[in-house]
Amino acid sequence: MTTLMSKPVSAPGKSIIERLNIVTALVLGAVSAFVVWRLALQFLPGDTEVRLFTREDKITLLSMIAWFVGFMTGIGALVGPFRWLMGKDLSHDENMFLAGKDMGINRYFRYTTDHKVVGIQYLIITMVIFGIGGILAMLIRTNLGTPEGGWIHPQAYNSIVGTHGIIMIVGTIIMVTGPFGNFIMPIMIGARDMAFPRLNALSFWLIVAAAVPLIWAQFIGGISTGWSAYNPLAGQAPLGMNGYIMFICIFAISTMVAGANITTTIVRMRAKGMTWNRTPIFIYGIMASVALALPAFPVFFLSQVMSGMDRALDTSFYNTAGGGSGWLYENLFWIMGHPEVYVILIPAVAALMEMAPVFTRRPLFSFNVAVMGIAGISGLSVLVWAHHMYISGWAPLLNAPFMLTTELISIPTGMLFLVLVGTLWRGRLWMTMPTLSIFALLWNFMIGGVTGIYLSDVPADAFLHGSMYVTAHFHYTLMGAGLTGALAALVYWFPKMTGRMFDKKLSWISFWLVQIGFNVTFLGMFTVGLAGQPRRVESYASTFNTGNMITTIGAYVIMVGMLVLLHGVISSWRSGEKAPMNPWQAKTLEWTVANPIPLENFDVLPTVTSDAYGYGKAQS
Amino acid sequence: MTDLMNSKKPQWWKSPDVKKTAILWAVCTALVGYVGTEFHVRSIVEPASETMSGVIDLMRIFTWAAAPVAGLVFAMCLTVLTSKRHYGDNPPAEADHQISNSPRANAVWIVVSALLCLFALITGLIVLQKDSEAVLESTAIQMNVTGSQWVWSFDYPNGARSEDLYLPVDKPVVFHITSVDVKHSFWIVQMGIKMDANPGAITEAAVTPNKIGVFDVRCAELCGLLHAYMQTKVHVVSQSDYDKWVTEHAALEGRA
Repeated sequence: MTTLMSKPVSAPGKSIIERLNIVTALVLGAVSAFVVWRLALQFLPGDTEVRLFTREDKITLLSMIAWFVGFMTGIGALVGPFRWLMGKDLSHDENMFLAGKDMGINRYFRYTTDHKVVGIQYLIITMVIFGIGGILAMLIRTNLGTPEGGWIHPQAYNSIVGTHGIIMIVGTIIMVTGPFGNFIMPIMIGARDMAFPRLNALSFWLIVAAAVPLIWAQFIGGISTGWSAYNPLAGQAPLGMNGYIMFICIFAISTMVAGANITTTIVRMRAKGMTWNRTPIFIYGIMASVALALPAFPVFFLSQVMSGMDRALDTSFYNTAGGGSGWLYENLFWIMGHPEVYVILIPAVAALMEMAPVFTRRPLFSFNVAVMGIAGISGLSVLVWAHHMYISGWAPLLNAPFMLTTELISIPTGMLFLVLVGTLWRGRLWMTMPTLSIFALLWNFMIGGVTGIYLSDVPADAFLHGSMYVTAHFHYTLMGAGLTGALAALVYWFPKMTGRMFDKKLSWISFWLVQIGFNVTFLGMFTVGLAGQPRRVESYASTFNTGNMITTIGAYVIMVGMLVLLHGVISSWRSGEKAPMNPWQAKTLEWTVANPIPLENFDVLPTVTSDAYGYGKAQS
Repeated sequence: MTDLMNSKKPQWWKSPDVKKTAILWAVCTALVGYVGTEFHVRSIVEPASETMSGVIDLMRIFTWAAAPVAGLVFAMCLTVLTSKRHYGDNPPAEADHQISNSPRANAVWIVVSALLCLFALITGLIVLQKDSEAVLESTAIQMNVTGSQWVWSFDYPNGARSEDLYLPVDKPVVFHITSVDVKHSFWIVQMGIKMDANPGAITEAAVTPNKIGVFDVRCAELCGLLHAYMQTKVHVVSQSDYDKWVTEHAALEGRA
């Protein structure tokens, strides 16, 4: 715990900290939103100009900001900073209370600072996000089962596509660094908690606060612009767009806070003796991911602030009539958007690299190449954004240089393949769901990667851009590679996080259903993309029938697989076999702590004398 | 890559798993190359311009260039998967070696991927250069394209105007594309060209249709409620039919 060197404050009776929880947060948030909404309705001057929505936009945004401030106050995010303003700090007891000492289930509904609680909170919210995003995906696929679409109104359909997109992006961004980066990472590096435990709680509750504007948006017109919310389309979209803007702004703060926290923790708090070449590769993956988010998300935040100002204050950042440019938005968006896909991908691949030696009982192959690969991808990924804009007409002369940087990324990406396949080679294969996931990742990521080469090529992209081919490509990378790694991580670390083994049979069944369904879905989607079906359409020419039908069938198979997985999580968590301390006989530090893990992880902080990959028999 | 560093067994290529992988590599490469190209070529639209044929050729080339790499990864996976597998709740015995690196394998892998990358880049640049020069073609028909929610309209050099596009075969066309409201993307599917229509700016794209027939124009950028329906047809006709058509339509516009 970080206790500053100030005098402890004695808390008479029940301190304010003990009274705050999710209920006070929801109440305070709702009340502030309502009050500000009434006040704004009363006092904001009416529109004098032609623009239709400006006043309503102002009212909506102000109410959402009020919700945000009310919720964060109600959850207790301001208690610490307020004490500091008064020149005091939290007492030791209060810090222990915040860490969730002896609080049972209640600590999951409070501003709890223990990294293990935050990790579980992240796991749950990730699952909720995937659940909602998955339902939206099924609505999309069902609507596209027949060419006429028909049963979903185009406006609602566009909104479903946009919401599915943005929440799946958010879900995949947090799916590894959230649950495992928070729960596992500090133990893995031999630390008692994160560097900034309160920031850790803050980053989680910001996501909860952000969720409400997004849900709110669905009732005031939805997000009918796709997840990229390009201007000027976003400027003419209904009020729901404000929900998107608020959601992104709050989520961006959360990501920046988590990024600063995790980076500091990894740099400063590794156990004695854990030099950089003894640091597990998963830690590198986590760090690359959150470090990339640090330059990316402030830009995202900014792009949405400007979007909100264009809507509510009649500025003209993106509005051509007033001298702005939609290209500015595209640039800002993709300066975030391309590093962001590696924010998702790198930790998932790194998690599988961490598991590969465990399940082949041999050392990780070429640790240095793995680090180079991760570093190379991270470095290049901030230089490739305009490959999303090859055909935007923004700067045709820049197409060649961006094609160069984009294709260069295949070199460090290839290194990740080398490390994985090299580690499998001549290993003793222990068949588990994570082991299967390594093979699935190699297959899916190969398809995602090679189709990425076609897309990186400007002339080929002139045909493929904006078609279903692109949609299939990025699902292969983000879902086929990213989510596959995250699900393997869930099964692998489940025993440490819950104290119980994940039901083996269910993990295998869901693995095969999800992987087969996934490949059917998105191979089918490639074919309709090649045949010329654009993205984000709610109806299509009858020539695309077969491909779409196959895709929809595949999607239902994925759904069944995911439901099996959900059943596995719930049943294993409730009544699974009790897990031993180190069920996989792995050598990283998180397996050296007892189940359940004590509040501060280690009584005596460990000292590290070698890397964590000392498997295999020494040859004589 | 194999354990090239193992100095005790200099003839590493003679070990059975290496031989097996080598055979599988050849098989997988052929399969990936063949299935990959067939998958693309059979799904993709019939080309109606050189540009589109070029795109299809690029896909063929890239698929075959990627095939050995993908083939090697899949071959190694297959070798591993078909060797002894351990099921059960406890870990198998440790592997019988502790190889954690192979500088030679790393170097070969990185050099080969760099060369492939360079190859892809050069191939792409050659085609890109050709496509970018096409917009400068002085003999081309200069056509103005305007996207608006949710129709395309086309202005011909002689003042004719239409909502479905007429083009003469084998004659270069340069499109000057813009939008009056939000961003659209002008895509002539079978001709392999696409360019965004931006409000307040004019972008350019060029193509030479080489087949008589009716082809598809679709909007490839989400542009609001009826984005899915923002499509029209391109009629590629002979030069004389085209001349007749534009003259008639120019007269129509003049009367209106």
